[in-house]
Amino acid sequence: MIDKTITIEDLIEDYAFSVNFLSKKGIKCIACGEPIWGTLEEACLEKNYTQKDIEAFVNELNILVKNQ
Amino acid sequence: MTIEINKVLKKLGITNVNKGVSTGVEWFDTKGAITSSSSPIDGKEIAKIKNATLDDYEMVIKKAQEAFLEWRLVPAPERGEIVRQIGLALRAYKDELGALVSYEMGKVYQEGLGEVQEMIDICDFAVGQSRLINGVSLQSERREHRLFEQYQPLGVVGIVTSFNFPVAVWAWNTALAAIAGDVVIWKPSSKTPLTAVATQKIINDVLIENNVPEGVFNLVVAKSSVMGDNFLSDKRIPLLSVTGSTAVGKRVGSIVGKRLGKTILELGGNNAVIITPNADIKMAIASTVFGTVGTAGQRCTSTRRIIIHETVYDQVKDSMVNAYKSVAKKIGNPLDENFLVGPLIDEHSVNAFTNAVDKVQEEGGNILFGGEVLKGKGFESGNYVVPCIAEAKNHYEIVQEETFAPIVYLIKYSGDVQNAIDLQNNVPQGLSSCIFTLNVREAELFVAASGSDCGIANVNVGTSGAEIGGAFGGEKDTGGGRESGSDSWKIYMRRQTSTINYGTELPLAQGIKFDF
Repeated sequence: MIDKTITIEDLIEDYAFSVNFLSKKGIKCIACGEPIWGTLEEACLEKNYTQKDIEAFVNELNILVKNQ
Repeated sequence: MTIEINKVLKKLGITNVNKGVSTGVEWFDTKGAITSSSSPIDGKEIAKIKNATLDDYEMVIKKAQEAFLEWRLVPAPERGEIVRQIGLALRAYKDELGALVSYEMGKVYQEGLGEVQEMIDICDFAVGQSRLINGVSLQSERREHRLFEQYQPLGVVGIVTSFNFPVAVWAWNTALAAIAGDVVIWKPSSKTPLTAVATQKIINDVLIENNVPEGVFNLVVAKSSVMGDNFLSDKRIPLLSVTGSTAVGKRVGSIVGKRLGKTILELGGNNAVIITPNADIKMAIASTVFGTVGTAGQRCTSTRRIIIHETVYDQVKDSMVNAYKSVAKKIGNPLDENFLVGPLIDEHSVNAFTNAVDKVQEEGGNILFGGEVLKGKGFESGNYVVPCIAEAKNHYEIVQEETFAPIVYLIKYSGDVQNAIDLQNNVPQGLSSCIFTLNVREAELFVAASGSDCGIANVNVGTSGAEIGGAFGGEKDTGGGRESGSDSWKIYMRRQTSTINYGTELPLAQGIKFDF
């Protein structure tokens, strides 16, 4: 189960597909070949997404996990 | 030549499951997550590693602090002697460690050996420096006073390394920190933890045989949830040296800056080669191809842009494409000496590469060669790509970014060389740069105040790679840090100005009278 406090490092390791998902939202999870530091929430806030947006992303990611 | 990786792992003491925390003379059986490291070459798991918990991190910090109290009192040349012996140990394991670097990271074996050679070189440099840590004597304005500056050990140094130079960057920092009287805590990349474990094992015997205090050379393999922001904000660590992306560097700078700690930031580059009408084109092409495809474009100093004068543009373009045609036949297992280009580190880097290939075309660029992901026998890991050459404009969004993969942009300039220099400088990053010219005016202008704004500015030498004798680092979004040679050792030390009154009077500075 993904929540907004997951680190980008863990997100990428456990749910590799999320890199592309977030990339389409303009959130770059990988830079110089390494995961960026911080949580999913922090990465989203940096791109000016709202808490409502973040909640929606988390829901979408969890649906993708279920469908995998 | 065939390298038997199992023999390599055995010689280096890598087992199926490895401990990830060491204080130099002891290894700890930690209870953190057990992660695995896989080779980008064949996708196979190499071994597992036990990560640290927060308690382990605390334990290591405390041991490091205790060790510093003792280590700072050891005379610098004696500390240098330990570093000399570490250099000898690295020489003894050069072939095996070079092979593991190649297998775990994906660079060709010759580059793996080169990386270990860098470790040896910086040890040699640091040994000499251990007898040259100096200060200056200055003239006091007060009679019978002596004014001088000296450098004292700083404390615990945190070192965060990246996958692309998994062990050399540790050595650059550690060798200097050690002779400076500091102790180090190393957090290696989660993609290359085994080379770190192997390195720590190589130096173990040296530390034990010389009774080096426990806690001088520490390794902590940990996830960023255990060793992330808490590591950066830890006031017990006066200096953090971080190699990584600009995004990570900005986070590090912000957190460490809030507590007024010191940082060495070695971040992204967007390195350009300028080829003028006065260049030795043959030399320029040979040098530039190594800069673009060496380490599969995964060096901080890899050449990302080639800025070419319009009068030689077609000649350079054709030569580059011809060179890439040859290189494309030499993509494969980097442990096989017949190949020159290995895989990218993982699928995410492959995606970043293909995204860049798509994006440059969306912005109006033109692919001249490569850009494909290789499939079939020998490429089962899915991490091998054909290096790409694209024609582009400097202002494209994708050109302004660093893509950590083998894609290079050809950019045409006209008129004076200053136009090329302006294009080169017109990116956020400022790590490495070079000009190919036989014209002394162009060469001198390039390294003048109005020339390249990068930390490294070469003439008839490519952007990629650097000797350990010079300070390494860059400006702007590259972070401003300097590592390795020259006077980089100073940042690992605490600068102190002292005035000694050996007279019988008490004159105040600036002639101030304060009688009471």
